[in-house]
Amino acid sequence: MKSIRLEIEGDIVKAEEGMTILQAARMAGIDIPTLCYDERLAPYGACRLCTVEITKDSRTRLVASCVYPVEEGLVVSTNSERVRKIRKMVLELLLPLAPTGPLESLARKYGLEKSRFTAERTDCVLCGLCVRYCAEIKKANAIGFVGRGIDRDVACLPEVAPKVCNSCRECFALCPGGKVVLESEILLLPSVWQK
Amino acid sequence: MGKERSKSKFVGLRVSEEQSQVLSRLQQNSNLSKSGILLRGLELLSEYYSLGLDQPPLNLELRNLEAEAMRHAQALRQIRKRGEAIGQMVQELSNVDKIIDKHQANKSTLIQILLDIQAQNHWLPKPALTWVSERLGVSWSEIYHIATFYKAFSLTPRGRHTVQACLGTACQVRGAPRLLEKVMDVLKIKPGETDHDQRFTLTTVNCLGCCALGPVIVVDGEYYSKSTVKELERIAAACE
Amino acid sequence: MRRLKSATDLERVRQEILAKRDPNKPCVTICSGTGCHAYGSEKVYAAFVKEIQGNGLQEKVDIRRTGCHGFCERGTLVVIFPEETCYLNVRPEDILEIVSTTLIQKKVVDRLLYVDGNGKKVVHEGEIPFYKHQSRIVFGNNRLIDPKRIEDYIAVGGYTALAKALLEMTPEQVLNEVIRANLRGRGGGGFPTGIKWETTRNAPGEIKYVIVNADEGDPGAYMDRSLLEGNPHSVLEGLIIGAYAIGSHEGFVYVRQEYPLAVENLNIALEQARERGLLGTDILSSGFSFDVEVHRGAGAFVSGESSALMAAIEGRVGEPRPKYIRTAVSGIWERPSNLNNVETWATVPLIINRGSEWFTGIGTERSKGTKIFSLVGKVKNTGLVEVPMGMTLREVIYDIGSGIPNGKRFKAVQTGGPSGGCIPESFLDLPVDFDKLTKAGSMMGSGGMIVMDEDTCMVDVARYFIDFLSQESCGKCVPCREGLRQMLKILNNICTGKGKEGDIELLEELSEVMRDASLCALGTTAPNPVLSTIKYFRDEYEAHIKERRCPAKLCRELITYYILPDKCQGCTVCVRNCPTGAISGGKSLIHVIDQEKCSKCGACFEVCPPIFNAVVKLSGEPVPASVPSGIKVTHKR
Repeated sequence: MKSIRLEIEGDIVKAEEGMTILQAARMAGIDIPTLCYDERLAPYGACRLCTVEITKDSRTRLVASCVYPVEEGLVVSTNSERVRKIRKMVLELLLPLAPTGPLESLARKYGLEKSRFTAERTDCVLCGLCVRYCAEIKKANAIGFVGRGIDRDVACLPEVAPKVCNSCRECFALCPGGKVVLESEILLLPSVWQK
Repeated sequence: MGKERSKSKFVGLRVSEEQSQVLSRLQQNSNLSKSGILLRGLELLSEYYSLGLDQPPLNLELRNLEAEAMRHAQALRQIRKRGEAIGQMVQELSNVDKIIDKHQANKSTLIQILLDIQAQNHWLPKPALTWVSERLGVSWSEIYHIATFYKAFSLTPRGRHTVQACLGTACQVRGAPRLLEKVMDVLKIKPGETDHDQRFTLTTVNCLGCCALGPVIVVDGEYYSKSTVKELERIAAACE
Repeated sequence: MRRLKSATDLERVRQEILAKRDPNKPCVTICSGTGCHAYGSEKVYAAFVKEIQGNGLQEKVDIRRTGCHGFCERGTLVVIFPEETCYLNVRPEDILEIVSTTLIQKKVVDRLLYVDGNGKKVVHEGEIPFYKHQSRIVFGNNRLIDPKRIEDYIAVGGYTALAKALLEMTPEQVLNEVIRANLRGRGGGGFPTGIKWETTRNAPGEIKYVIVNADEGDPGAYMDRSLLEGNPHSVLEGLIIGAYAIGSHEGFVYVRQEYPLAVENLNIALEQARERGLLGTDILSSGFSFDVEVHRGAGAFVSGESSALMAAIEGRVGEPRPKYIRTAVSGIWERPSNLNNVETWATVPLIINRGSEWFTGIGTERSKGTKIFSLVGKVKNTGLVEVPMGMTLREVIYDIGSGIPNGKRFKAVQTGGPSGGCIPESFLDLPVDFDKLTKAGSMMGSGGMIVMDEDTCMVDVARYFIDFLSQESCGKCVPCREGLRQMLKILNNICTGKGKEGDIELLEELSEVMRDASLCALGTTAPNPVLSTIKYFRDEYEAHIKERRCPAKLCRELITYYILPDKCQGCTVCVRNCPTGAISGGKSLIHVIDQEKCSKCGACFEVCPPIFNAVVKLSGEPVPASVPSGIKVTHKR
């Protein structure tokens, strides 16, 4: 594996080709917050909490560190003004969707006491951890995404879920919003046929 | 069931006089509503023939129940004899089979296959999707995501007549929202909905490319420009 | 159908086709694009066939259904060759007269001609101001060919560029010509096409793909549709040339399923090209093989984004992916894939045939060639126009478009679709090109140019685009999905009189994060309509928020309808048309609107006879006290 040198928050980090910035940072003990990331799953790049500022050849960009591959000579800033602004706004947008749980403490860390926004539903941040876990690890595909845009949702598939979910329930622990929690509610999750 | 002489209506569904009496008796002897009886009957049939109808969600209102019963019944085209239902199901599945073969049963043509099924049936019936899932080896979550992501697909039967209202920017600027309101008043449904009799499905579309006629609606492929309420009523009345 | 085996073969066939056509023989051409189809062009065609046969003229007069001519406001368009007499707004009832007057008596039907600003009638198509100021190098052939007949395309010189590229040039030479021409993508991104081709060509991997993006999703833009419907061969020819330059043997055309005529004509064109040996194995005996697959979209704006489109071709959901690794290097099935817009591909044969030097002679320094725009909205001559880059917005809207109808004032022109912005009057002299429009806070985009007048509410425009995007976004990433959700709430509140101090600043704050952190270009450009309207029309936002007033008198919750007592003539038209029965007053009595019952539908405003003009819209001011009922009208006319 080819070795790649890059700079993260002032530290020189020796990473391997094929790693993402997030993996390299974690390897070097540098903290970058995440929500939709799980080491066991393919990176998803949806929550954008892991956004970092990178500079290469005097060009600066903002990228999601969980999907951006390491490059020789990259200079990464994980805590710049722009990055903090983004993180704070992402948390402020998500907080009404999941008022209790891991997001609450993370929000406070970024100086966010309460959100200026309101939401109609308060149990799902659409991080996709349940869907991806079920697809990639359990290979059951019992829960999936439906719809798009602001109507995007997560739904248990009536053809599969009743047969497998009750005896599995492994995705419960991953859920930051609290939606996939109550076992009696699995069958009551919106069925696509109801729409 | 004897020969049907006269037609009756049971929750808006056309049934023979004898069938209506049987259904009414069943309803009186249970504590289900009229539409509840129909739904229960369809469930039993579906379990028997694995037509794949869902468990009804627990919190549906009566109106939704009626609509659902109508939809399923219409889609199965008024089950009268068991054999007919099976025959029809076999025909529908073999049609789907032909579509899949036309695209060489290739996973990458999933969206094209679904488009053809939608065009043929005016919706995506569950048995058809089950067959696609099995033959192509794609998961239900993939199919459902695609079916709910794209506007071209409908998981419930669509009306016999399609009414599309253009909401492209040019039509918008020329008063499309007001025209849409008039259409909604005449058809009594909202965009994305089908009426109870399954006559009309109303959808909105972004730019049909005839901006000079804006605001435009298209009914079964016929274009109408700047329609008044009277004109809309006339157009609707002409659609059976 | 004989396969063409060389350039001489192609030329011989072309000469044969031309030899059978007498340039002096009358030919009736009928525009048959979707726009004119909506006007009834099929019935016009049928009427012509019937009349011409009825008069025994079928051997003496040709009839041709052509692609879109572009003057969509005045369809159905009929142009009669060889004089190129142009008739507008033709209906089936007019055919009798056209056949007897023009075809038989060789005279002109005056009432169907274009009338210019001075009242003068214009006979010839090319002299109509709408066409005169255009430069229709790409779009112009539409009017000469029947898209369902490859012979028509060959007759105008079609596929000669392909022959030249495959048989006289190396792939590198073709590539360099396109690079030198400085052709930039016409789909909105404006990326240098030659550079993209080069990247794809040099990317590692044997198998490469070329793709036509015909997913045209910007509402109000339909240039690609008309080009694909009207001249599919021009797009195909460009695609094959590009494939040759890049080293690709497989191509895809991704077309919206909302364009059934384009899909149909494209499939016919592909079949005919294959029959002639212009597509498929060993094209024109050059040794180069290439074929095309057609993929239909299924109704999603976001699937027009290049990485989303490629996912859809793979059979997966059409969601974008982060483009840190270019699709030109890793696209469909992780293979190098070159995606270009319909118009971009259609421009390629011109560059090969006439040279990059000719092409760079048109346009501005950094934007070469022409661009097709869809000029629509509050403008007199709506339609598709092709102009050289560098023409000003004023020239397009006023010289070609003939200005704003109904004596209204110009307010703004929206370009670039949902990724673009609104440009106010003060910028009308901006030249149209990729960079100038971006500097003004908009972008050229795919070519939608929507003209707005004083009756358009700019806050409502922003709300409309955010509403559109909130439904079309794939919904995967937080800044875009949740940002749009909250922006929509705020804009809906402002438009319904519930706006608060600080809303504008919050919109700007959300915009910054959406721009910086969204996963794809839909999200990063989503704030543009909001930011550009705040920039140039901040006063409208402030009026809505602080005064509960809509300056354009459009936002329903902020307007009231009022019947002027001294103008009302008591005709009862509004009383009869009011859906809620809110208007009182019988014949010759002053009509009064009961504001409690009024649903603000605007029906009374629409139906009040223009000579009375008694109904007005008020916004931000109190409604005058009601006149007591039963008062007779004054000044009866």
